[in-house]
This record gives sequence, structure tokens and C-alpha cells, in this order.
Amino acid sequence: MELVTIAKRNNPFRKFGVNFWKSKYLILMVIPAIIFYAIFSYIPMYGIVMAFKNYSPKLGIIGSPWCENPFENFKKVFDEPKFWLAFKNTLIIGSVKIIISFLGAVTVAVLLNELRMIKTKKTIQTIVTFPHFLSWVVVSGFVFSLFSYYGAVNTVREALGGSRVNFLTGKNFFFGLVFASDIWKEAGWGSIIYLATMAGIPQDQYEAADIDGATRLQKIWHITLPGIKPTAILLLIMSVGGVLSAGFDQILNLGNDLIREDVNIIDTYIYYHAIIGTDSAGVGTAIGLFKSVVSFILVVVVDRIAKACGERGIF
Amino acid sequence: MKRNNQLEKLPLRPRRISSRDQKIQGIDVIICVILVIYAFLIIFPFWNAFVISISTEEAYLHSNLLIWPSEIDFTAYKMVFNDQGLWSGFKITMILLIFGTAYQLFFTVITGYALSRRKWTGKNFVMNMIIVTMFFGGGMIPYYQLILTLGLNEKIWVMIIPGAIDTFNMLLMRNYFASLPVEMEESAKMDGANDVVIFAKVFLPLSLPMLATVGLFFAVGNWNSWYNAMIFITEKKQYWPLQMVLRSMIAKVSSNIETPEALDTFSQGMTMASIFFTIVPMMSFYPFLQRFFVKGIVVGAIKG
Repeated sequence: MELVTIAKRNNPFRKFGVNFWKSKYLILMVIPAIIFYAIFSYIPMYGIVMAFKNYSPKLGIIGSPWCENPFENFKKVFDEPKFWLAFKNTLIIGSVKIIISFLGAVTVAVLLNELRMIKTKKTIQTIVTFPHFLSWVVVSGFVFSLFSYYGAVNTVREALGGSRVNFLTGKNFFFGLVFASDIWKEAGWGSIIYLATMAGIPQDQYEAADIDGATRLQKIWHITLPGIKPTAILLLIMSVGGVLSAGFDQILNLGNDLIREDVNIIDTYIYYHAIIGTDSAGVGTAIGLFKSVVSFILVVVVDRIAKACGERGIF
Repeated sequence: MKRNNQLEKLPLRPRRISSRDQKIQGIDVIICVILVIYAFLIIFPFWNAFVISISTEEAYLHSNLLIWPSEIDFTAYKMVFNDQGLWSGFKITMILLIFGTAYQLFFTVITGYALSRRKWTGKNFVMNMIIVTMFFGGGMIPYYQLILTLGLNEKIWVMIIPGAIDTFNMLLMRNYFASLPVEMEESAKMDGANDVVIFAKVFLPLSLPMLATVGLFFAVGNWNSWYNAMIFITEKKQYWPLQMVLRSMIAKVSSNIETPEALDTFSQGMTMASIFFTIVPMMSFYPFLQRFFVKGIVVGAIKG
């Protein structure tokens, strides 16, 4: 009799059933999440097969025929010089933005950390973190008003004896505007995390440095910056995964019809060519897949490099 | 008890007495000046936009508009307040702000709570299912095709339904719930409460600050939402949210940049007035709500 009870208790199905019943309310709470992620994340992942198909909306993903040459869609993409221009722009914009936003955030954090007037510090912090909460639509409005032909920047140029310039129609100016507006919008917000890390640096290190007669700069260089290094490296590794995203919202809103094809990044290329343009869904999906795969490889490579240099990675 | 509290607080006080007490040095002045210039550069675009919005077309073209307009004129604001498009956008944005935020908060918080509880059947499965989506996704086109297949395009729902759970905010909530003492759950269980009751009666009231943080992140996201409208609502412009209406105004102005003389400059003034219409609510709340946002990003970055 006892043996039967023990056997019953150890029956994996029964055990599962009992545990399942115990967790029924928690399971109920995650059912919406399962449904949402299945529909809005996993079905699109399955949709990647479109990259290898001649997709037609009438037939659906399953019904659409496979391409005769499996890489037909990819070949179409890779034969398009405009795509490679977009790819190049993405790499330039993405990597420069990672570097400058990192340097900007750390600089702002160090300066704020060194500022001793607490009230001024609070006010400045409120001001410089606010632009993060503006949409790129609004920021692009500011950029256009400042840099347009009659805008403030041109007025200053004229006052200083220069001539008015069309900043918004030149590709070279565009890259500058992208970087400057990115710093303007995000440097203050990015500094918060470094400031929080700096607050966690043990104060006795600074006291010891004071006794040794270290200057402010020496303390920043030898205590503050090494103190935020682990956080900085972690954030840098994570941002590498976003290199190929390079900021769809920003590029789309700052661009205009005249320079749009010259300053495309991968995401805006997909939007202009495969959503409002004439490229097929298969081609658009192929570009997206290419982007995901390259991003993933980049993250893994950078993670390995960081680990080889003796830092904590993310995997 | 009081004594205990004081003892606990002690190490949190700044102990950098030696350097804090020093006199203000030259370097302090330099730091302060740099930061004030930086803050000025942040404020200037707002000021410039404001000045353009209250000046006349004449003044905008012919005078130095950097600091203050030669003539003050509120025509742009009158036009903004009489603009049907902007008010319609405002209405849609308010719908997104109220219903969208409540909807997102509800699903994000219950998921975060369930995943914060210790061992239960299926937890790892759900967790892995969500983590995978952080590293890999289908991309823009499969998502676009999915929305078309579901028939959500050209409907206001497309801006609300798909965003039910935000993974970052969900993990933020999860970490917060997990940091609360588990003994509360155990004792409530002993009293015969089930998980739903424990969540609603014990954990939810204790997590109001975090709920405010996550709710504010959602609210800002909804206030600034335009991406889904741009991609999925191209015909029925009555469903455009405020940001999308603003975007089409700005695009109209900026598409005339090649021939600056042909630019309808008054639309510049009106665009800037519309920008203020869009950001003033946020500007007036931000100083009071800043600490919630800061808390969210700090907690999120440390734990995540």
C-alpha cells in the first residue's frame, strides 16, 4: 500500500499536474503575455521565410512559392548600389554615434559630479535631461528652424560677415546635424547612469587621495573614471548591437526629399523601398534578416573581445 | 527604533568632508561656466522656436530674431488653436495616453509579477520566450505584413494593441517585485490567499512608486507616438496622433528648403507654435516627475 502511495507521489505526470494546479493563477497572469509575444514577436520571426519566397499577400506566407534560387532576394539587394550606400551610412552614423554619445555622457557626468553647488547641479540636470523626452519630430522642427536659410545659425553667420548657407540640403552638413542633435538630445540623459555609478564609488578612495595630495584632475583620472569603467564597458557592448539601427526616427525626421536617398540608413532604406516603395516584401525581409544576423555577430565578437581583455561580458 | 534609523542612515551621508569643505577653486568656476554654457545650448532651440512663434513673417525675414522679436504677434497661436487637424491629433493622443497607458500598464505589471515569483510550472518557458525576443526579431517587413494580415492598418487600434507589454518595463517591474520580501507572500498564502489576491492586495499597494515610474515611461511613449501612425495609418488622417500631425506640418515646411524665397515663412511661425502646443504639457510636468524617470533608468540599468 505504501509503495503505491510513493509511486503515485513520484509519478512525473502527477507531479506536473499538482504543480500546474498550484501555479494556476500565475499561469493565468502570463497567458496574455504568451499570446502577445507569440503574435507580435514570433509570427514575424516565422515571417523571415519571406526572404526566401516570392511573397504575395493573397497567398499568404505559407502559400507563397519559394524562390527558384533560394538567395534570389538577397542577390537583388546586394546588386543594388543604393543599398550599399545605405549600409555604409549606417556603419558611419551608428559607430560615430556610439562613440560621441559615450564621450558626451561621461563628460557631462564628470562635470556634474565635480560641481559642488547642489542647487545649480539639480537645475542643470533637469534642463539637460529634458530633451530626451522630446520626440524626434519635435527635435527635427528645432533643427530646421535653427539651420534653415533664415534661421538663427545663418543670422549669426551673416552678422559675423559670412554668407547664408543651405545647411539642410547638403549631405555633409546632414551628418554633422545628426551627430549634433544626438548629443543635444541624449548626452544629459545618458549621464544619469554614470552619475549613479559615481555615487557608488567608495568615498575613502577620495579621502586617501586627498591625504596623498592628489589634484582634482588626478582624482577624476585615477578614481572616478576607473570607477565607472565596468558600467561603461557593459553599456558599450550593449550599444554595439544597435549599431546597424543607427536611429530610424532621427534619420527619417531630419532628412528631406532632396537628400533622402543619399543619407539613407538600412532601416529608412527598407521603409522607403519596401513599404512605400516598389521593392517586394521578400527583398525587404532579406534586408532585415541581413541586418539582424550582422548585428548578432557584432555583439558576439565585441563580447569576446571584452572578455579577452579581462572584462565582464554579457553572455 | 529612532536610534537605529540614525545609525542606518549614517554611511549614506557624504563623507567627503575634506574636499567638500575646501574653498571654491578656479577649477570650480570653470566647471560651472562650462555647464552653464551647456545648459544654455540646450535651452536656446526652445527659446529660438518660441521667438519665431510669436513674431510676424516680416520680422522673421528682415530682422535679427535671436533674442527677441521686433514685433510681438500671436497670430500663429490663434491659427494653432483654430486648427482642426491639431485638435483632432490632440484628441487621438489623449485617447492613446489614457487608454493606451492603462492597457500597457495592466499587462506589463501582471506579467512582471508572475515572472517575479519563485518556481512555478512554466515560468522558465515564458521567461526564455521573452528573452529570445530581446536578441532577435523578425524585422520591419514581416511585422508590417502581419499587421496588414490582421487588418489592423488604418485603425486606431494599431497604436495600442501590439504594445501591450514592453520587455524593458516588464523586467523593471519584475525586479522590483522580486526585491520585496518573499515572507509577505508566504504569510498571505498561509492565510489562504491565492496569487491574484496576494498580487492585488499585498504587492500592488507596495509598489506604487515603481508603478508610477513605469506608467510615466508608457505615458511619454504614448504622447510621443507617431511611428505606427506613419507606417500603418496613411489614408485615414483623422486617426493621426498629435506628433504625426506635427510631423506632416514640419515636413511641408522643410520640403520647400531648396528655394528659400518661395518658403511660406508664416508656416514657420505656425509650426513653431504647434511644437509648443505639443511640448508645453510635458515641459510643465517634467521638473516634478524627473525623479521617477531617473529612478527607473538607474534601477533598470543596475539590475538589467
